[in-house]
Amino acid sequence: MMRLAVIGIGKMGMLHAGIMNALDDVELCAVSDTSNFLLNGVKSLKPNLNIFNDHVKMLDKEQPDAVVIATPVFLHVPMAMECAKRGIPFFLEKPLSPNSAQAQELIDTVKSKNLVTMVGYMMRYLDTYMKAKAVLETGVLGKIITVHSTIYVAQLFRTGKGWRYSKEQSGGGVVISQATHLIDLLQWLLGPVEMVTGHTKSWYSQEVEDFAHVHFEFKSGSMGWMDSSWSIRHHRLMQVNIEIHAENGNLFICDDYTKLYLDDAKNGFNSGWTNWYNPDLFHGVEIDVGGPHYSRQGIAFIDAVKNGKPVTSDLRNAFEVQKIVDAIYESAGNHGQPTRV
Amino acid sequence: MIDRILLGHNQFFGVNHLDAKVGDKKAAQFGQVQKIMDIINFCYDQDVKAMMMSTHERALLVAEEIQKSDRLRENLGIYLLVPYIAKYIKQANEKGIVNIVRDSLKETSFASKLGMFMRGGMGLLTKDVKTMIKLLVDFEVAPFSKLNLKAIFLHDALTDLALGWDMPDVLELFADHVQKKYNAVPAFCTKNLPRLMKLLERTPIKNPLIMASINKLGYQVNPSREEFEDALKKYELQLLAMSTLAAGYLKPKEAYEYLFSLPRVDSVVVGLSSTNHAVETFSEIRKHI
Repeated sequence: MMRLAVIGIGKMGMLHAGIMNALDDVELCAVSDTSNFLLNGVKSLKPNLNIFNDHVKMLDKEQPDAVVIATPVFLHVPMAMECAKRGIPFFLEKPLSPNSAQAQELIDTVKSKNLVTMVGYMMRYLDTYMKAKAVLETGVLGKIITVHSTIYVAQLFRTGKGWRYSKEQSGGGVVISQATHLIDLLQWLLGPVEMVTGHTKSWYSQEVEDFAHVHFEFKSGSMGWMDSSWSIRHHRLMQVNIEIHAENGNLFICDDYTKLYLDDAKNGFNSGWTNWYNPDLFHGVEIDVGGPHYSRQGIAFIDAVKNGKPVTSDLRNAFEVQKIVDAIYESAGNHGQPTRV
Repeated sequence: MIDRILLGHNQFFGVNHLDAKVGDKKAAQFGQVQKIMDIINFCYDQDVKAMMMSTHERALLVAEEIQKSDRLRENLGIYLLVPYIAKYIKQANEKGIVNIVRDSLKETSFASKLGMFMRGGMGLLTKDVKTMIKLLVDFEVAPFSKLNLKAIFLHDALTDLALGWDMPDVLELFADHVQKKYNAVPAFCTKNLPRLMKLLERTPIKNPLIMASINKLGYQVNPSREEFEDALKKYELQLLAMSTLAAGYLKPKEAYEYLFSLPRVDSVVVGLSSTNHAVETFSEIRKHI
C-alpha cells in the first residue's frame, strides 16, 4: 500500500487527494494545512486520517511514499525542497514558483537524487490535446509556420482579493496563473521557445496583469502569438483555443475538439477536414472527480512513483515554462523589448 | 413517484458538453428569462411537468417566475441540484474554501438567530462540521424552498469528492437532512456510478435515486459502459439518465432504444433549447415507458 500525504487541502489539494486515494494500493494517510477549520472538518469526516498544521512535522512523522503539494505559489519551492531533501517523490501544483531563480536549487537537488516529480499541467491529459500531439508527431502537417492561440475566462471584473492577486505571493497575474497552461501546451506541441515579446495590461488588479499578449519565436523556426485574460466576458469556463498553420494544412484545437485540415492526403489522413470531438475520443477512467484529465494525471504520477514510468510534465519541464514566463514579464516591463528565454 | 421525463437545465445556463462556444451562444439565446419560461410552459403543455434546476444565479430568476404562476408553482416538480459548483470554484480562486463557507454561513438565518458573531458562535459552529453541512445545504436550497421540490441532488463534484476521500458519512448526512427537513427525495449525481453504489452499501441509504450519464456510445460513462451496465444489474437503485444522446451524437430513436433496454432506468433528462423536435423526442421516450 502506497502512503500518500497532502500539503494544502484547498480546492486543488482536495481534488488530487480524492483521486489518488481512490486508486488501488494508494492510501491517503495524512494532510497538513494552516487552517484548523479545514483540518477539523476532514478529521471529523475521516477519523483515521492524521492531520498536521505543520508540513515538516508531517513529513518526519509519517514518512509518506509520495506527497501532493497544493499551496499558494510562493510556498511551492520551499515545501518541495523539504520533500526533495528527504528523497520523497512529489506532485506539485502549477506554476512551479513565482520566478525561475527561486526554483534553481530545487531543480539541482531533484536531479542529484533522481527523484520522481510531476507538476500539474493537466491539460496535456485532455483528449483533444493528446489527439493533437499524436497528429503533429506523424508529421502530416509538414513544417509549422505559425500558431495563434488564446486563453480566456470570465473570472475577474473588480479588484480581486487573496494571494493570487499579490505579485509577491503568486509571481504575477493571468500569465503565470492561467496562461502557463497554454505556454506549456505550446512548448509540448511545438518545442522549445527561444524569444518572446510581451505586452501586459492591468485593469482590475493593482499589482498584477489582467491582460497579456505575447509573441513567440520557437527554436524550430516557427513563430506565433498568445492572447490571454481572466477578464473576458461570456467565457463561463476557462477556454483555450490553438490554431496551428502549417505547410500542408492547419490544426484547430480546444477543449471540445481537434480539427485537422489537409491540402494533400498524407500518412493515412485524408485531404480536407478530419474532426474529432470529445465523444469520439472519450475513454472512461477508474475515478472521475474533476474531469478525466485530472484522473489520468494522478494515475500517471502514482505509476511513475511505483514503476518509474516517466511523466510528461515533470519539474524540468515546469522550469522551462517558468523561464518563458520570466522572459514575458521582463519584456513587458521594457515596452515589449524582444527578450531571450 | 419520480417523474419519467425531466426537462434539463444546462442549455439555459451555458453548459454544453460538446462545444463550449455553443454553450455560450445558448446562454445568450436564453438571456431573457421569458425565453426559458416559454420552453418550461411548452413542456408542461406536453405533460412534461418536471425539471432539473441548478442554483445558478440565473436559476433564481426562473424560480421567481415559476412562483408567480399558479399552475407551475403547484404542479411543476423541481429536481434541485446543489450547489452550482462553478461559482464556488471561481470564488475559491479568490478567497479560499474557508472564507466561502464562512460567508455562506453568515447568510443563513440560523447564524443570525444565534447572534453568533457577537459571541464567537462561529468558532463553535465550525467545529461542528455536520451541523455546518446541513446549514450549507439550507443556504443553497433557500431560494427554491417554496417550489414543489421533489428531489434534491448533491452535485457530482461533491458526491465524487466524498467518494474519492472515502467519506460515506457525508452522503448519509446529506440524505438524512434532505429527507427530514424538505421531505424531498435525497439523490446523488455522480460520474462514477458503480463505485458510488459500492460505497452506499456501507450506509443505510437504500434504493437511492442516482443521476448519471449513460448512452450507447459510452460517452462520459465511467469506468466503462460495460461496468456501468453490470452495476445496474447488481445494485438496487433508481436511475435518472442524463447525457443520453451523447451530447447530440446519437439520434433519439437509437439512443432511447438502447437506454430503455437497461434495467433500473426510471427517468430521463431531456435538454431542449427549442421546441423543434421536442414532441417527437417525448413520443419516442413514451414508446418505452
